[in-house]
Amino acid sequence: MTPPGDWVLLAYRLPREPSAPRLAVWRRLKRLGVAQLLDGLVALPLDSRNREQLEWIAEQVVEADGEASIWVASPAAIGDERELATKMQRSIAEQYQAVSEQARDADPSHRNRRTLARLRRELGRIERRDYFPPADRQAAREAVEALAATLDEEAVR
Amino acid sequence: MRWATRVGIHVDRTACAWLILRFIDEEAEFVFVHDPDEVPEDAIAFDMRGAELSHHGDACTFETMLDRYRLKDEALHAIARIVHEADLEDERFDAPEARGLDVILRGLSLVAQSDEQMLELSGPIYDGLYEYQRRATMLGRGPG
Repeated sequence: MTPPGDWVLLAYRLPREPSAPRLAVWRRLKRLGVAQLLDGLVALPLDSRNREQLEWIAEQVVEADGEASIWVASPAAIGDERELATKMQRSIAEQYQAVSEQARDADPSHRNRRTLARLRRELGRIERRDYFPPADRQAAREAVEALAATLDEEAVR
Repeated sequence: MRWATRVGIHVDRTACAWLILRFIDEEAEFVFVHDPDEVPEDAIAFDMRGAELSHHGDACTFETMLDRYRLKDEALHAIARIVHEADLEDERFDAPEARGLDVILRGLSLVAQSDEQMLELSGPIYDGLYEYQRRATMLGRGPG
């Protein structure tokens, strides 16, 4: 069994008001796909990009009169890590499923080029924050490319 | 002048180093450190937590540098939008070049033996990007 891996953690606290910086920080964390361990404690698998991104968010918290620190840690028990990874994977899987559904439901008229472009962008965004790829990832890619193929056929007709 | 930044330079730091050499200090020497505490006293730190020349709000360091050194060149601002998207991916700007620049620099960092070599290899890329943006700004479209 492989031992638990390293994670980078951001511990932070922001004043309740004003709400704009709280919202900005929350949006950035969401885009990165962090695991929320507790209120004000989030984690990502450790790599240089994730560490750097969390450091910049820490800096943003401090600039908004909050407190923030960055930690590199590993879960003491494999079970804790597994649970965390499963939780992250489940959340990402739902995002892929939403893309698959939208691709399947899209009306295959050539006006739907825009929907295709939007779904491809959305897929790219999800893939960038996907640290434990679920099977739904391949399914979503295939659903989007299937939509692309029907649009091409429509254009030829 | 000596300039210090973190080891393992990628988009934002290679772009900043290029900007420093081309537009701010042509005799710049670079020091790469593992921790903010290792920054030599006589060096200006950039792209590090706590440094003035770093990320501020949702601006990346390259954008901060253009602002602090009052660089108004439109081509540099076009590069700033690309660097911002490559670094932060927050879709604040429409800069499709960002993905490509990110991939090229990630690839270069795999073949470069050191941060010094990474600077040598990435410099000409920014020279080209700058020249392209400069002409695009003059022509109002990308040069053919």
